[in-house]
Amino acid sequence: MAMMTFKIHRFNPDDERRGRYVQEYQVDVRKGMTILDCLNEIKWKQDGTLTFRRSCRSGICGSCAMWVNGMNRLACETQAATLGSNRIEIRPMPGYPVVKDLAVSLDPLVRGLMAVKPWLIANGPPPTDQERLQSPEEREKLLGLYECILCGACTSSCPSFWADGDYIGPHAFLKAYRFVADSRDDGAKAHLDACDDKHGLWRCHTIFNCVEACPKDLNPTKAISELKKELVRRKIG
Amino acid sequence: MSYRESVRSGGALLWFFQRVTGVYLAVVLFLHVIMTHVLIRGELSFDQVADRVATPLWKTVDISFLVVALFHGLYGLWIVLDDYIHRDWLRVLLYGGIAIAALVFTTLGILTLLPFQAGG
Repeated sequence: MAMMTFKIHRFNPDDERRGRYVQEYQVDVRKGMTILDCLNEIKWKQDGTLTFRRSCRSGICGSCAMWVNGMNRLACETQAATLGSNRIEIRPMPGYPVVKDLAVSLDPLVRGLMAVKPWLIANGPPPTDQERLQSPEEREKLLGLYECILCGACTSSCPSFWADGDYIGPHAFLKAYRFVADSRDDGAKAHLDACDDKHGLWRCHTIFNCVEACPKDLNPTKAISELKKELVRRKIG
Repeated sequence: MSYRESVRSGGALLWFFQRVTGVYLAVVLFLHVIMTHVLIRGELSFDQVADRVATPLWKTVDISFLVVALFHGLYGLWIVLDDYIHRDWLRVLLYGGIAIAALVFTTLGILTLLPFQAGG
């Protein structure tokens, strides 16, 4: 048991004159409590006006991504005691418009995702008697690409996104490469052309923030590099 | 929420050349340092460098070094401006500055290198 101070950056759209402000709360943190547990303690027992998103509380839905002590993390997957400090600062994820307190608008995330055509593009009709099959080797190529939960932590941590709100974003490039690498997909050109955009691939400067921020340990930077190489191969080859 | 139209960038080849020129610069810079500062006999002097630059091979290497370094550096600057400068008039002004700098420095560099003659 340890008393911890939570310094939470807040914003109320109904009180825009006040702007963003910081509010502190004390929470008696028990062993194993996650940041989400602590936020729930605050909301349920101290201040019902504190707003944040959460749903599955098990690292699957991606709703509770937020900036905690300097990094974007999933609140439900981060134990308070592992942060090494009794003072925990929580902000909404940077780069996205704040809706209220820790809840941000994920419109830029969805815009980027939709730009790369994140669906299977197949020329032929699907087989009538079975699924579109892959060999185990072909399926293996998708490991590390399909597990994205769209929490938005990577794109929010990217300086290119901070500089250009229309930047498509590492989450979308990871998804684009997930389809380019898929043996069942015939639309590589469509996915790649979408990435070859003024606000696309070439805005990535290989800073690796997205890799550090990803709570699922995925590597969007590697996917971006593969997409860049593939585009260059198609231009030169 | 509206979806925006895609604007093709055509950045693939420039990105590729930026990588290739980076590798080329690393190699030529290494060669330059070795030739100028390690393999030199006695004190480094203008005459020694002038003799080396007078040979056609070194003249070619140095001119390519100049052109490649200018491309690599100025394109890098261009990319940074592309990221952070969003006002149209300022972009035109700064991109114009980069283009002029490229032209002036390339011309000055070549005009400096070309006149060196063997035994001169």
